[in-house]
Amino acid sequence: MEAGHGGPIPLDALGPRGPHRTRNRQTVPDVTGRPVTELSLVPRLFVQRSLAALRKAPPLDADELSAVLARAGEAFATGTVGGVPADAYRHRVSRVTGLPVSVVHKATEHIAHCAREVFHTVECARPRGTVSHWQDPLTRRGTGIWTRRGDVFAVHAAGNHPGVHALWLEALALGYRTAVRPSSREPFTPQRLVTALRESGIGDDRLVLLPTDHTVADDIISGADLSLVYGGDPVVTKYRSDPTVLTQGPGRSKILLCAGEDPAAALETIVASVSEEAGTACVNTTAVLVDGDPAPVAEALAERLAALPSLPPEDDKAVLPVHPVAGARALEKHLLEHTGGGTVRLGGDGIVEELGDGSAVLRPAVIQLDRADAPQAGMELPFPCVWVAPWAPADGIAPLTNTLVLTVFGGDEALIERLIAEPSIRNIHLGDRPTHWMAPGVPHDGHLAEFLMRSKGIVRSATAGPWREG
Amino acid sequence: MTLLIDPVLDLPTGRVPDPEEFIAAAMRWHFSPETGSPYWLERARTLDFDPRRDVRTFADLRLFPNVVNELRNVPVRDLVPRGYGTSPHIVGVYESGGTTGAPKRVPLLADWADRFVSWCAGYMDERGHPRGAHWLAVIPTGPHIWGEMVARQARHRGGFVSYVDLDPRWVKKCLAEGRTEEAERYAAHVIAQAEFVLDDQDIGVLVTTPPLLERLARSERLVELVNDKVRAIIWGGAHMDPDTRDLLRTEVFPGVQLFGQYGSTMILGGMVEREGIDDACVFDPFTPYVTFSVIDPESGKEVAHGERGQVVMNFVSKSGLLPNNLERDLATRIAPLPGQIGDSVADVSPVPSFDNEAVIEGVY
Repeated sequence: MEAGHGGPIPLDALGPRGPHRTRNRQTVPDVTGRPVTELSLVPRLFVQRSLAALRKAPPLDADELSAVLARAGEAFATGTVGGVPADAYRHRVSRVTGLPVSVVHKATEHIAHCAREVFHTVECARPRGTVSHWQDPLTRRGTGIWTRRGDVFAVHAAGNHPGVHALWLEALALGYRTAVRPSSREPFTPQRLVTALRESGIGDDRLVLLPTDHTVADDIISGADLSLVYGGDPVVTKYRSDPTVLTQGPGRSKILLCAGEDPAAALETIVASVSEEAGTACVNTTAVLVDGDPAPVAEALAERLAALPSLPPEDDKAVLPVHPVAGARALEKHLLEHTGGGTVRLGGDGIVEELGDGSAVLRPAVIQLDRADAPQAGMELPFPCVWVAPWAPADGIAPLTNTLVLTVFGGDEALIERLIAEPSIRNIHLGDRPTHWMAPGVPHDGHLAEFLMRSKGIVRSATAGPWREG
Repeated sequence: MTLLIDPVLDLPTGRVPDPEEFIAAAMRWHFSPETGSPYWLERARTLDFDPRRDVRTFADLRLFPNVVNELRNVPVRDLVPRGYGTSPHIVGVYESGGTTGAPKRVPLLADWADRFVSWCAGYMDERGHPRGAHWLAVIPTGPHIWGEMVARQARHRGGFVSYVDLDPRWVKKCLAEGRTEEAERYAAHVIAQAEFVLDDQDIGVLVTTPPLLERLARSERLVELVNDKVRAIIWGGAHMDPDTRDLLRTEVFPGVQLFGQYGSTMILGGMVEREGIDDACVFDPFTPYVTFSVIDPESGKEVAHGERGQVVMNFVSKSGLLPNNLERDLATRIAPLPGQIGDSVADVSPVPSFDNEAVIEGVY
């Protein structure tokens, strides 16, 4: 199934009647610009008909779903899906996204793990005052029942990291019929996951893959009951006032090193937070704030990150992301134009190392800033790029806000209480836990189920209905 | 005056004039002081060539400047050739969509309307479209030529039309201002009206636009009604991408003849979709009155057959002359049918706009 010497292999949409190949296709290149696949882009009419089919399909029952999800996750990570073995798939994702193949490998295992645990994960989100089934004895004295807010769920997926596709499995587990619009940057992961779920028996009319161009993208959202959309700040702003859309924007994850903490002891965690996942995830650290002199931290970080090797993404030892040269140069220019008055501790001579085949490694950058509220500290770029700034309690918590994950070393109880209470900080890691630490059941940006479900009041009398006690 | 009319401009439907004879006669007609329109006679003074001497073939029409923008403010009376005498039979004045500022206006003369409609009726007969049918036209009427032409087509074939009117300018305005919800409500309002007619009447021919057809296809009930009653769907007025066309033909309306018209007010009518081609939507013009070429907008040169380029339209008839009009449409250049002047076109689409490549911050 690899492209081999022929032309690019087509990647079909997966509609309610099976795979669907269109005339309108988008070429997906690898990091050298070589075409890898032609993605079938479906028109609006196909979107409408697919969503109508999803709406008509009854949900699978929970036991069946649980088995399907676990089976599919396993097949996705280790099996042959749609004729493609797992290693061929990982190689392809690595060549197209420029993500180190080891990162892809970990992400696929993460997806399989999440698929196995998905019922536990959503159960963690269920309010304690609710039951899952109306025949639960508790409904006789009156309680809440946890129900879906709609039937059809849509995802505008991101292509930065395969791991993002673990999340929408929760919607499936809750009985949502789901439409996934893949990113044209990396359609392979959702295509493989949808195919694996179909091969495991989810039902073609319960889960569809709808690649579209941007003119049709909004039709998926307006046709679904609820949607999850990944994007930058413009996307977040666009949907801010739409209660049916949940956005996943830039993470701007941060680490705070409080006074009295030993930077050397925290260094390992800081390095990992910046550079694991090749620095491409929203949970990677964008800024490190130091109560004290930031220079030694920045220097030590620079020294450690400088040692990371530049390798092609499919190399098992690769740890840094690879982009096409033009895109890499554009990012480099953008970074170097925006360092402001910062002291560039790493990457000042450029962050691009060309591999000679049209692709280039994005090498780490460490920039030291002179104040906690420098605006650059919020600049999240898709490679290990970190801003190190001084912070003092007098600066308040403002520099720590708008953060997906905040790891705090030290700090007094009053500070921790304030950070936990701050709504724009979505996860708090205390002590030696990197910002990219995740586990099923622990919310990532809230539980997705908080958005997908609501509690409905229910009570029944002893004489209600022809049914017997369940 | 009638003595001045060259018979080659007035041939009965079905007889195709010799191209060069036709061009020569048309140039004489439009640029002779006795027969030409006030507009063209005046405009000719600013041309650096003499149409009667220098325009001998269809290719020579490229000598003309594109004058369609001048039609926004020329008095319509000045566009009527003097050769029609003092009381020409003007069916109406029709306007372009009006997306970019003031609309362009053209007069529709009765002889051209008859000629065009009998040509349309000819191919509808060939394709076995129902005769004597009740048509439902969910299309722009009023200032737009389409409504008038559809009424004439239905009548010519023993039928009659119910209309649901719509104002495409309002829809475009809504979309341009980002009020997509309002455009959506308007479409729903239009479709709801069409539903009444489809429900209660024995509709045999449906005429509408691709976006409305798509909107209609969202309702299972409407799809059933159309499949039960309608034998031919004629679409036009907007682009239809090949994948949507394929779905409509194979999945949504499998038993209904679906065919497109590629029209423009600047050719006072439309071209018809060639029959029997599955993988592309090819439009053939009403030769020699309407002719196409497909050019590379950068070089102005014709592209090769099978290549894409921008569409240039010529309208040349006794009733009017609108040559060398570069439309804002892209199409694939297709070899003409035997005896046809110029090219046919396929898979017409709007000129695309490209996203800029600025760096967007964030990892997604």
